[in-house]
Amino acid sequence: MLLLAWITLNDLVDDWGRLEGGWENLTAFVTESMWPPNWSVLEAQSYPVCEKDIEFFCSVGYLGMVETIKIAFVSTILGFIGALCLSSFAARNLMPMYIALPFRIILAATRSLPSLIWAILFVIVIGLGPLAGVLAMTFYTIGYLGKLQYETFEGMSSDALEVSKAMGLSHTTTFTSVVIPETGNHLLSQLMFMFEYNVRHGTVIGIVGAGGIGYYIDLYMRFLQYDKVLALLIIIFVVVVVIDLMSLMVRSFVTDEGDVRRPTWLRAMIKLYRSRNSSSE
Amino acid sequence: MEQDNALLVLENLSIGYDAVLASEINARVHPGEVIAVLGPSGIGKTTLVRTIAGLVEPIDGNVELKVEKRGGLGYIPQKLGLVRHASVYHNVNLGARASLPVLKGESEERKKRVNSALVALGIEEKTTEPVRRLSGGQLRRVATARALAQRPSLLLADEFLSELDHNTVDVVITAVKELLDAGTSIIMVEHHEENVTLLATRVWMIHGEKLYDFSIDEWKTIQTGHLPGGEEE
Repeated sequence: MLLLAWITLNDLVDDWGRLEGGWENLTAFVTESMWPPNWSVLEAQSYPVCEKDIEFFCSVGYLGMVETIKIAFVSTILGFIGALCLSSFAARNLMPMYIALPFRIILAATRSLPSLIWAILFVIVIGLGPLAGVLAMTFYTIGYLGKLQYETFEGMSSDALEVSKAMGLSHTTTFTSVVIPETGNHLLSQLMFMFEYNVRHGTVIGIVGAGGIGYYIDLYMRFLQYDKVLALLIIIFVVVVVIDLMSLMVRSFVTDEGDVRRPTWLRAMIKLYRSRNSSSE
Repeated sequence: MEQDNALLVLENLSIGYDAVLASEINARVHPGEVIAVLGPSGIGKTTLVRTIAGLVEPIDGNVELKVEKRGGLGYIPQKLGLVRHASVYHNVNLGARASLPVLKGESEERKKRVNSALVALGIEEKTTEPVRRLSGGQLRRVATARALAQRPSLLLADEFLSELDHNTVDVVITAVKELLDAGTSIIMVEHHEENVTLLATRVWMIHGEKLYDFSIDEWKTIQTGHLPGGEEE
């Protein structure tokens, strides 16, 4: 497979000479234009005048990131619920194929447009701003999560489903009382992943005017202020890592491993501190 | 006139997946009967039960099930089919919800059924426990409690007494007898002869791609060593 990939790559690249000097170009760009990151993005903007006690809350980094997180949160929740409704009809083990197929086609159609195109469409329809971003990411989330969800449902153990079918439970009862509890861990994982994805993509759709931190990234790129762009990218990275840690914690409530009580971060730190003290004595 | 009140009628039924496991099955189940399905491993006992449950299409023939579409049929598969990430109460309540749907109200009756099933199986202290934390014997008790709360007209139970200690078998048998008193019929796949004599009123023996239907007394006679068709065991 690796050989096949290499042959394909070789077919795609017409001139390997382009790589020459690439590393030097990148180094020059990072050291001269991007590094060090400009943390003035965490200071209050000159306009509008900051009325808060702490300047940070009026900064571009904070305001942009909070708006991106808000857009990502709302669209993830709305998209998750929409995707659940559609995917419960798209899973072949829950519905006959003649019903599942149209729902799969709807989800595929929703997914085939990237969130950026959705954003452009909604900016055209309702104008610039966060609402366009929310709608764009909600639609993309429905298509993307819907596929993950129906594949998860199809992969679940058939025993409990067969019992539900034999007992004559309704589709709604089977879905809410059997399928969701059995796949809860995966659904939560997907939900958190999608939230993280939407936070990252919030930056992209912001570039086309759909609000969030992407608007400021686009603005600084236009003015060639790459050091500020780097600072905003680091902020996004930190938020993504925090979301990943939150995902780990949330999922521990529904996994088998969650039955075992794990030490909190604080306890782990105290233990480490005590062990160091005792060794130094 | 027996066929008038039959809960289940099997007519010229052929069962199997790719290949036929048993064919020309003609049998009936009447209210209050307990049928033990016997035969060596891989002969088609589970396939027969799954075909009756509507989970496997018959290769040929008909399965006529004359029970209520919702909640009329109970099913305890070999792997029990419990919702592992939900509580014991949630699982038992599913049985009650099958025959008493939430939309129709009757929440008090549902609670009563669930609580009495939990007590009958001796798992009332495990109510909030997630099923995944229970032992094998406790899991079988939960699956039986689910059937008890459902009170189906016909219960299909696939080896639900296997791998249980004597104490648990006694508890489960007592609970199943409650179901029988309430008018439920049972088709149970069994391997252990002692369990057959505890409950069964009739025996379906699958042998050589055929199903033989015996009364319990006839089956006891067969135990002397002669199989139907004159073959030696």
